[in-house]
Amino acid sequence: MDPQTQVDISKLSDADKKELNQVLTNEAQKSTIQQTVHHLNDVCWKKCVAGKGKITAGSLDRTEEACAQNCVERWMDTNLSILKNLDSMRGH
Amino acid sequence: MSMFGSSSNKSSEDVKTALVRQLQQEAAMTNARALIGKINEHCFDACVPAPGSSLSSKESGCLSSCMEKYIAMWNITSRTYVARVGQESKRMGGQDASAIASMATGAPEGGSGVMG
Repeated sequence: MDPQTQVDISKLSDADKKELNQVLTNEAQKSTIQQTVHHLNDVCWKKCVAGKGKITAGSLDRTEEACAQNCVERWMDTNLSILKNLDSMRGH
Repeated sequence: MSMFGSSSNKSSEDVKTALVRQLQQEAAMTNARALIGKINEHCFDACVPAPGSSLSSKESGCLSSCMEKYIAMWNITSRTYVARVGQESKRMGGQDASAIASMATGAPEGGSGVMG
C-alpha cells in the first residue's frame, strides 16, 4: 500500500538530492499559494455569489467576475495596509 | 502502486523520478480534496436550504451549476492573486514575476478538468 517504503533513498546521488530539494521547495511554495487561493475563494464567494439568490448558471456573470477580481485585489490591499500600519507602530 | 515494485535495480535517476511523481500526485490530490471540501460546503449551503428525503432534480441541477461556478471563480481568484503577488514582489525587488506565475500551474485547469 505504501509505495514510499519501496523507494531506496540511499541510491540517490548528491546531484539528484539537490534537485529533489529544489522540487520540494517549489511544491511547498505552490501548496502555500494554493491554500491562500482556497481561503480567498471562500471569502470572495461569500461576498460575490452567496446570498445573491439562486444559482442558475455554471459560469460567472460579468458582475460576479469583476467582484471576484476586486475582492482579491482589495484583500491584498488590506493585507499590505495592515503590514504598513504595523510597521509604523513599531517606531513608537 | 506496482510502479514502485522491485526496487532492487533502480538507479538514482529512477528513484528521483519516482519521488517527484509521488510528490506531485499527492500535492494535486491535496489540492483537489481541499477544493471538493469547499465546493461541498458552499454548494450545500446554496442549493439545499431545506434537506428533503432525497435530492430533487432542481437541487441536483443547482449543485452542478454551483460546482462549475465555484471552479470558474477559483481559476479567476488564482490568476488574480498570482498576478498581484508577482507585481508586489517585483515592486519590492524580490523573486521575479515569471517564477511566481509558474506556481499557478497547479490550478484546476478549465471547468471540469480538476477531477480528471
